Amino acid sequence: MRIKHIAAYCLGLFLMGSVASHADTMVTPPDGFGKRPLTMIVPFGSGGGSDQLARAMAKAMGEVAGLDFQVVNKPGGGGTSAIPDFMLAPADGYTVLEHIDNAISAYAAGDISENPAVDWIPLCMTQITFSQIYIRGDEDRFTDWASFEAHAKANPGAVSMANLGKIGSMELVVMDQLQSALGIEVNQIAFDKPAERYGALIGGHVDVLFEQPGDVRSFLDSGEMKPILTIFGERPSAFADVPTHKEVGADFEALTRFRGFYVKNGVPDEIVAFLSEACAVGFNTDDYQEFNRSKYMHLIDSFRDTEGSIALINDAVKTYQDMYKILGIGN
Amino acid sequence: MEHFITGTWMLFGDLEALFIFVLGLLGGMFFGAIPGVNMLTLGAVILPFTISMEPTHAVMLYSVIYCSGVFGGAITAILFNIPGAPENAPTCFDGYPMTVKGMAGKAIGAAVCCSAIGGVCSALLMMSATGPIANWAIRAFGSQEIFALIFFGLAVSASIGSANLWKGWLSVFAGLLLATIGTDPVGGIPRFSEWSILNWEYKSYYLSAGLHFIPMILGFFAVSEVLVQATAISSGTRQRMKASMEFPSIVEFWKVRYTMVRSIFIGFFAGILPGIGATLAAFLGYSQAQKWSSRKAYFGKGEMEGVVASETANNAATGAAMIPLLALGLPGGALTAMILGIFQIHGMEPGPLIFMNSNDLVWITFAAMFWANLLIVMLGWIQTKTVVHVLRIPFRYLAPIILLLATVGAYALRNLMIDVWIMFFAGILGYFMRSTGYSPAGIILGLILGNLGESAFSKSMQLMNYDFMGFFSRPISGILLALGGLAIISSIWTEIRTSRSPQSAIKRTDN
Repeated sequence: MRIKHIAAYCLGLFLMGSVASHADTMVTPPDGFGKRPLTMIVPFGSGGGSDQLARAMAKAMGEVAGLDFQVVNKPGGGGTSAIPDFMLAPADGYTVLEHIDNAISAYAAGDISENPAVDWIPLCMTQITFSQIYIRGDEDRFTDWASFEAHAKANPGAVSMANLGKIGSMELVVMDQLQSALGIEVNQIAFDKPAERYGALIGGHVDVLFEQPGDVRSFLDSGEMKPILTIFGERPSAFADVPTHKEVGADFEALTRFRGFYVKNGVPDEIVAFLSEACAVGFNTDDYQEFNRSKYMHLIDSFRDTEGSIALINDAVKTYQDMYKILGIGN
Repeated sequence: MEHFITGTWMLFGDLEALFIFVLGLLGGMFFGAIPGVNMLTLGAVILPFTISMEPTHAVMLYSVIYCSGVFGGAITAILFNIPGAPENAPTCFDGYPMTVKGMAGKAIGAAVCCSAIGGVCSALLMMSATGPIANWAIRAFGSQEIFALIFFGLAVSASIGSANLWKGWLSVFAGLLLATIGTDPVGGIPRFSEWSILNWEYKSYYLSAGLHFIPMILGFFAVSEVLVQATAISSGTRQRMKASMEFPSIVEFWKVRYTMVRSIFIGFFAGILPGIGATLAAFLGYSQAQKWSSRKAYFGKGEMEGVVASETANNAATGAAMIPLLALGLPGGALTAMILGIFQIHGMEPGPLIFMNSNDLVWITFAAMFWANLLIVMLGWIQTKTVVHVLRIPFRYLAPIILLLATVGAYALRNLMIDVWIMFFAGILGYFMRSTGYSPAGIILGLILGNLGESAFSKSMQLMNYDFMGFFSRPISGILLALGGLAIISSIWTEIRTSRSPQSAIKRTDN
């Protein structure tokens, strides 16, 4: 009899506990979902920007929806090596892929056959940022965009820019748009490892750098680099004294760099809706907001839900395909 | 000095810091010493846990793992001919023959002491002048100089570990060719990842990532070693190795003092340059020791000087590799890239400001690396007395364990199954290469330096507007390229001369 009492007491405690744990979470999963850990595939290495984002978001979604994530890094091939494993996983919502806008340009160029807006379902985008052009802090040949443009026009092809080299990448497409709009010619030096470009600029081996502000924040803070042009529709408040590409006479809609989360097409609607909501609520937690601030991801609106993500992807695909036609890239 | 004492006090005065320090020291050594897994595996496994740690402790932990992990890889190189990491590959050349001769204790002893000496010296140099050194290196070494240095490294190291010069170069060229698989470093154009043979189409996203050197090392060394030993056992020619525990004497170390000093400089220099690091340091240290040694002919047959040269150089590179990371925020290798990640997870960025903003962190890290290297001697001495007993385990039990760990290690690298297949394929290939006098180490060297070299070469050519002579208009790159060219010519000359002399014919038949 006593044992029964104790057992009932324990069961009661357990039920209360589980009710309490559900009450803690702000987003409730559909019946039966999320009982076992989810896998989050990161197509880049441990410790990198994508890895940090995936871990921060996994933590935020765990907090708001009681989900438990196993983060798995599958780096290589500019993010393409992870795709086959993601596509092989069952469409049950237990496998989430983090990916960046590289996937969109790779699809537009025909390098991968999966359309991120059709074959995958974007849950959300949680980091969107713009590009800038940087010079050394102690550069004396030019100090702002006007003097740089004059210098580049006086020495066509002699000014070198450290850039990421993949043909058809966001960096090269934007630079092509900028150069043809302004009639300048900059020698693009293709780097394969992002961090090498910073050393090349600071060490004086190249003249300018194309990059996003979050990645070079430490160099901006120390004064070793300074921005001379923002490639975005308006001046973000943190860079109020830096002109935008439109202000200096280049009229095109700027491509952005964005990171987000996907599941495979075929995942049941209610699970997609739940994960998408968990991402949206997770985005607004204090910890995640702090994380985005540390990455300079709070300067412009950095969030898109599923609909917004699909629109962002489709716009980007169209811009890439139009530019590829002009440049003669891909199929 | 004052900073160093403060750093040491923070390390040993704080129980939590001390606990993490000891954990890192033992963990790095342990993971480094298991064939298959290595310090990178450990680094990736514990990365999520560093989020809740204090940033000072987390960075210190990884720098300690770095020091002890590079040393740990030497143990398997010496005992089983399986280097824990590419930078330990040259340690095999003489370390394993020493084990075969029953001198395993001596080889491990030499590796322990030299790792410690190399590491301590490089930690001292790092403490004295991180800022100026980093600023000099970043300005003096552009893509042109990096390419010239890689060319020089290949030119002087190509023939080590092979039966003769030609087979050495062929091995390196095979490695260089393998390095071209995957997307090219300039345009991201896929190479060898799409084929079409007789209507059979093959396209692999996996191969677009290229071949990673870790599964290749596991295959060429671990898997092929198991196959070699298995053949020896089945043909009844395998000799059981004697597990000796004799430590090298001070006199023996005194004899190789010049090699040690040379390797410290080589290691330090190679370590400073982002991306070049410990592997080239170890190969250069070994090849230069062989070149200048009076016992040249004994290299590759169990000469302690060979172990000294490569282990001093690779540990000297560890401290140096922290310099560009801390001073400029530029990681040089996989583990330093993880350390950069730890900084960022905690909302910090290494760079020039770190010495002002986080002086504590810098000095606790420096102090920890210094003490970790010193403690390697003590732990290593204990290990010498214990770990050689592993040799007493019959190989038929050891072999499946090695294969299992190698499989886990290959998969754990990127969580991609293709790496496991590459490992086994490389293992079978390595078996035939070794029985015909080609050098698996040469392939690895070619693969690693091929990737770095191609990237540096293509950037240089773009910067010089595709004018090759531009390399010679810069003093450092011009001198390095000329020295490399001379080294190739002189090695060909020596090879032709010795192969014509009657003595070498006798030597060849001995082999």
